[in-house]
Amino acid sequence: MTIPVRPPEGRLWPVDADAAVPYWVYSDPEIYAEELRKIWYGPHWLYVGLECEIPNVGDWKTATLGERPVVMVRSAQNEISVVENRCAHKGVKFCQARFGHSEELICPYHQWSYALNGDLQGVPFRRGVKRQGGMPADFDLKQNGLTKLRVEEVNGVVWATFSEETPAFRDYLGEKFWKHYTRVYDGRKLEVLGYNRQHIPANWKQMQENIKDPYHAGLLHVFFATFGLFRADQKSAVDIDDEGRHGILISRKGEQEKTEAMADIRNFQGDLVLEDPRVMDVVQEFPGEETVGMITIFPSVILQQQVNSLTTRQIVPKGPDGFDFHWTHWCYADDTPEMRLRRTRQANLFGPAGFVSADDGEVLEMTQQGATPSPDAHMILQMGGRAIESTDHQVTETAVRGMYRYWRKVMGL
Amino acid sequence: MSTTLTDRPAAITRDAIRDLYDDYYGALDEVRLHDWPEFFMQDCLYRVIPRENFEAGYTLSTMQAESRGMLKDRVTGLTRTQMYAPRYYRRFPTAPRIVGEENGGVRTRHNLLLVQTLIDKPSEIVLSAVCHDLIVADEGRLRFAERVVVFDSEMLPNSLVYPV
Repeated sequence: MTIPVRPPEGRLWPVDADAAVPYWVYSDPEIYAEELRKIWYGPHWLYVGLECEIPNVGDWKTATLGERPVVMVRSAQNEISVVENRCAHKGVKFCQARFGHSEELICPYHQWSYALNGDLQGVPFRRGVKRQGGMPADFDLKQNGLTKLRVEEVNGVVWATFSEETPAFRDYLGEKFWKHYTRVYDGRKLEVLGYNRQHIPANWKQMQENIKDPYHAGLLHVFFATFGLFRADQKSAVDIDDEGRHGILISRKGEQEKTEAMADIRNFQGDLVLEDPRVMDVVQEFPGEETVGMITIFPSVILQQQVNSLTTRQIVPKGPDGFDFHWTHWCYADDTPEMRLRRTRQANLFGPAGFVSADDGEVLEMTQQGATPSPDAHMILQMGGRAIESTDHQVTETAVRGMYRYWRKVMGL
Repeated sequence: MSTTLTDRPAAITRDAIRDLYDDYYGALDEVRLHDWPEFFMQDCLYRVIPRENFEAGYTLSTMQAESRGMLKDRVTGLTRTQMYAPRYYRRFPTAPRIVGEENGGVRTRHNLLLVQTLIDKPSEIVLSAVCHDLIVADEGRLRFAERVVVFDSEMLPNSLVYPV
């Protein structure tokens, strides 16, 4: 039996239901625990990693889904398994490194050993020693393996879910987002360029909101606005799926010039010139005229295509007031050395020290600082009206409203 | 009274190396950001890179510059375009160890701890690193031709704002 969630005692949802969200969604521990159960361990696909990170049978990578540690392992030539990194015996998190290679998975404590797909293979002293001790006769290896997650590898990206109810990945995305997804993840082989990892002291939903909110990008990110990478006066769009859970910001690169739209941006730096503009050496590489396609896949990941910078940004929640943010910067395996260098240079725009992304980490921390002490106050989400629909401009919070409508449905609030 | 940098001889002695580091970390701790690019050659390599990338042979860095111009752009970004909470950074380098010579330059290594203090917060470590530097004589002073800061820290506390 599931216990219905209600807003915490004495706390109400604002009357303006779609365009206002109370701040207790960022801080209440009961709500967070319910999110883990209903969202992270519920019927949702979670990002685990890239297929190219474990090229050989026996290669594994550890990851955390929700708060649960898992191992993504190549269990056979054409098979990737994701199993819980928790020994069936005492709960030991048996894989401690980020990456490794082994013939089987063994817990160091009592050496219970598992096949790469999570099946329990052997338990030392199972028959006892000199007829003393040992496991009961009815102990069944088959019943005591590692928890196996459902897995789909989709054009180089590995997704897993704890729930049997999660629809197939393509149905989970919906046809519209399948098209957005396959624009960049088009089946070409991927290759890792490197990682960045940071802990952001803010509720995990804030990161999703940040990328569903194009309205901030031209205002907070002066570097973007100045060099025309993301501006309020560019042709752009926000697309959301039918459920409101996934979103994409689509934009084109503009020019470095003052326009009427830029007058509202107080700190626009129209006179700035880079001494060494190689970081802005952008080439068009995807179909269409758009240069930016930032996809939020609810709840665990942001798929970034910002000019030639390609990353997956995984969200790992760490309690109501913080999350770890794992960036995997990648390229196509057949990229030229020039393209790899270009993507590596453009990484200066993103990550924990990015000219643009550092702003986000900072402002999310400030949001948490302001919102946590006032759980009963609420945010105003009226930019672009109260509707939840795709738009052909950026001056909107429509995708944030869409996410909270979906969130309320899942949470039963 | 302290001597200015240009008064110093360009010979790469142990003392001169020590002075270079004292000046370099002094400038950064005092947030004299516009002085920072001058510690590097025109053509240089600057990287602040996670250890896991460095060991895997990836060049992708948390912060990177391939010229003094890019370092200046980093300063411009910081002072004109980026938004961040006010903070103090303080750097705790160990003494440099000379590990080799290369084309008339000297390779050094030292450990570095970078500590930040934010308003209302206890001081915390931003990163723990080893610096792989190549020091050369350039225009009558010592400069970095290469500085690669390889940090062990698996999870940065939010943003890395100022240079290392």
